[in-house]
Amino acid sequence: MLKRIAKFIFTATIILFPLCCSAADENFREEDLKRENVIQTKISNTGVSILNSNKIDERISFAYDKTEAKEKLKLDKALLTRQIIIYGYDYKFIEDDNELAAMLSRRIAEGYRSYSGAFNGRLSSLKMKAAPKKYQLVFDKIAVDYMVRAGYNPIAMITFINKSCPQKRNDTISHENLTSKRLAEIYEYIYTKYPYYLKNNDYFNNVHYQNFLLTSAENRKLLQNKIKSGSKEKLKYE
Amino acid sequence: MNKMFILLTAILICAINPAFSIQVPYDELVETTLMDKQIEKPYEHIGYNYRNNIKIPVKISITEKIKSEADIYEGQSVCFAVQEKVSYKGKTKFKKGDIINARVGTIITSGMNGIPASIIFENFEKAGIEPGQISNNVEVFGQDRTYFVFPLKWALTFLPPTGSLTNFIKGGHAKISPNKVLTIYYYPEWL
Repeated sequence: MLKRIAKFIFTATIILFPLCCSAADENFREEDLKRENVIQTKISNTGVSILNSNKIDERISFAYDKTEAKEKLKLDKALLTRQIIIYGYDYKFIEDDNELAAMLSRRIAEGYRSYSGAFNGRLSSLKMKAAPKKYQLVFDKIAVDYMVRAGYNPIAMITFINKSCPQKRNDTISHENLTSKRLAEIYEYIYTKYPYYLKNNDYFNNVHYQNFLLTSAENRKLLQNKIKSGSKEKLKYE
Repeated sequence: MNKMFILLTAILICAINPAFSIQVPYDELVETTLMDKQIEKPYEHIGYNYRNNIKIPVKISITEKIKSEADIYEGQSVCFAVQEKVSYKGKTKFKKGDIINARVGTIITSGMNGIPASIIFENFEKAGIEPGQISNNVEVFGQDRTYFVFPLKWALTFLPPTGSLTNFIKGGHAKISPNKVLTIYYYPEWL
């Protein structure tokens, strides 16, 4: 009798265990999907509001990919299919809607530029790929304009880049600018075009903005001297 | 009473003395140059309505010649003159010779591989026209040499490193004269 009961329990465990596991797995997957859906909705809504506010009359779509980061050899969909993919690695750095808008605005600027120009925009895409360093600074600035027109605070661009982009030793033979240089250029751009946000700075006590103030003292000194002297020359930030 | 007086004096000294005060973060540039200025909040285009997308081209030309992107700076004010009258529903919206104020938005310098310089003009303003009813910007390009640089580069790929020498061909400077007519768009039904 005991043997039969043991046999029954053993058989039931073998049959029920995978079923229980798969139910738990399904529950977990459903939770994961719900979480992804919330993030996707937020990204799409913010992205489309930037497109609408900036009268961008070309289609650009948005997708969230929870994969850690973009694979190095994967093609950039923002230029090819005008789909902006936000990877989990980048999304981790976002603290508020302004920072999300900062990240999306940059990518929108790239995607929108790939529409204009010869051969159905292919030549423009090629130029962007051939001179990424130059266009990196351009898109930072265009993104600031997009953010302001869509009602977001452009200072978030500074806090977002400050915490998410690493600082290289130098950028002489790199295809990217030094992050400190990018931040200084953005700061100057905001100072020149949208000083309202620096005067009424909601991010002033933000730790990342404070860190930017701490690490950009020399570059801001250069800008201060330029403003005092009334010079219009382009500054060489480090 | 005396103890109370000493305590209050000590608190007052601590509050006034900078050594005791909490370090307040400080941006010298903003404090010295912006804080005493009256600055308006920039225009935000949030209340849009794209039900009717009628767009009317407005032909404009710059009033003062720009020889190169190096001669101007971002944020500089520029003026454009309307070249042709524009009417909508029987009302004249732009008269020939009307001045439209604008600003140099972003300057893109010329680059290697024949990439041209360009100037993005933006913030077109005219009395009686809402900012949301007019094009956001217009871009003026220098001579685009990528048309021959890229094919040449690929053609020379078989003879390394000659293909890389094309990197040193720079694009043309962006210039604009009053003779050059640009087109922006007026969207009468937009908010």
